[in-house]
Amino acid sequence: MSESVSDVLRKLTIVFTGFEQRLETVPLLRKLSRGKLSLADYQALLVGLRQQVKDGARWMSRAASNISEPHLELRSLVMRHAVAEHRDYRLLEADYVATGGRLEEIQGAQMNIGSEALSAWMFHEASKPNPFGLLGAMWVIEGLGAIKAKEWGRAIKESLSLPDQAVRFLLYHGENDAGHIGEFQEMLSLVLPDEAVAQRIVRTAEVTARLYALQIEEIGT
Amino acid sequence: MTKLRDVFITGTGAFLPGPAVGVGQMEDHLGRIYGRDSILGRRALRWNGIESRHYAIAADGSVLHTSADMCARAVQAALEDADTELKQLQFLATATTQGDYLVPGHATAVQGALGAPPMDIASFQSVCCSSLMAAKAAWLSIRAGEHDMAVACASEFSSRWFRPSFYEGTALCDEKGRLRAEADFLRFTLSDGAGAFVCEPKPGQNAVSLRITYIDIVSLAGTFDPCMWAGASLEGRDDLRNAWSYAGPVAAHAAGAISLLQDFQLLKRVIRAWVGVYLKKVNEGRINPKDVDWLLCHYSAKSLRQEILSLLKNTAGMIPEEKWFSVLKEKGNTGSASIWVMLDALLKSGKVEPGQKILCVVPESGRAMVGFLMAEAV
Repeated sequence: MSESVSDVLRKLTIVFTGFEQRLETVPLLRKLSRGKLSLADYQALLVGLRQQVKDGARWMSRAASNISEPHLELRSLVMRHAVAEHRDYRLLEADYVATGGRLEEIQGAQMNIGSEALSAWMFHEASKPNPFGLLGAMWVIEGLGAIKAKEWGRAIKESLSLPDQAVRFLLYHGENDAGHIGEFQEMLSLVLPDEAVAQRIVRTAEVTARLYALQIEEIGT
Repeated sequence: MTKLRDVFITGTGAFLPGPAVGVGQMEDHLGRIYGRDSILGRRALRWNGIESRHYAIAADGSVLHTSADMCARAVQAALEDADTELKQLQFLATATTQGDYLVPGHATAVQGALGAPPMDIASFQSVCCSSLMAAKAAWLSIRAGEHDMAVACASEFSSRWFRPSFYEGTALCDEKGRLRAEADFLRFTLSDGAGAFVCEPKPGQNAVSLRITYIDIVSLAGTFDPCMWAGASLEGRDDLRNAWSYAGPVAAHAAGAISLLQDFQLLKRVIRAWVGVYLKKVNEGRINPKDVDWLLCHYSAKSLRQEILSLLKNTAGMIPEEKWFSVLKEKGNTGSASIWVMLDALLKSGKVEPGQKILCVVPESGRAMVGFLMAEAV
């Protein structure tokens, strides 16, 4: 792997571990790690996550449409990625219903303050020409899927004694994301080395991580 | 202002009690919970890769050495290695997870066991990283010109805590008498021993001395709940008012709040946090993986999961495995003493050449901490 790719990956890993540590102290997730999460907390988590999951494929599609011709290969990858994910929120809704929640409730829920900020930020960045910084956002969000979602899913399933079909999004969405991370390195090597792009990728990861954490902090408030 | 002085490790010593104990004999020393073999032990051993270790409890239950005594023996060995004697020692900095007494500090017990003359002392207590806390105190005291000879040492007598009486009749055993994994795992991970080093403001007479470049300790306790702890039950650890000292010793024992416990789910997150701290050091140029000739870590590369190893490789943070020096497999994980037991073995192997750089990495799951000692052979 080239030095510039491993340099960015290192910085992104530092951003991710910082993000993970911030999540550690979020009250809702602290309840989860202490085995004190209630069913209502889990339902609120699903409602809180839904908006970003729903928007994910949409901002990726918008970003793809802004990738210029010399970067066609990257555009293909981002589009494939968007296709792979754009129905995931349906799974999340089904989980909510399997916990005893009503579909209209999760579909009609208002976005929380963190979701508003995160969504606005993602679409704003995706609307720029060649928005390569968003690779940093993908790293954070995919990392969350690959590393955290399954851990949360298992802990929630166990502590609330839920059937598999109530935790499918967290348990299985992560399985796909593990493959996405290999693809991610390929995407980085398509835009690097370029110092300005490298900096933007890391900065975008930092902002996305902060806003994502805000989204979870705001759940149930 | 006085100029800061260079500080050199001029001698090292280690002490491991009794004979090496193989996998099949471990429970002869620790005892069997309700008389039954552990079901988890083999799995723990596969994970940590330890093949033999030492216990200060003999198979008949008698105590061979106290923790303070083991520590004193390691200190004596280090002083001898540095070609000096106890009466030259001005500062004794000790580390341990749990001393022989609750009060006063471990350093008083070690000084007592040494029969040492009046001197400056300091007791550091945490888990594995307490070793570097003591080392940092010793290093800085010489560096600042406060003392001309200091010893940093550490000892553990973990096996005391692993005897059946610590678990039987507590909430840690189920109705069939099986011990919870959070407790049993550590019984097959930790063992007994001590290590020490001498530091002085000039190189010693051995083939190599080590100039300490820096000691960095990073604790993340503001973020994490306890991950490896004693003094609170599994469920009660998030509120200090549940701690053993509030409940009283009898109630605390019944709740399983006296034993050493490990939260495995949290450990996975703590490992990632260690990696984050390490990569930050790499990013800042504080650690250059290419410059390190010897890496000492009391965690085996084997026990880090494949994702972590490939992550380290992909981020240019990996120190190649051929540069890892370890005696973990043969001498066991002796907690805070481990790093000095390893350093002693490395220096006495004759493999270190002047100019080489040695990095000691000490991760502590306790409440998420990791420390680094960088040194250069002269």
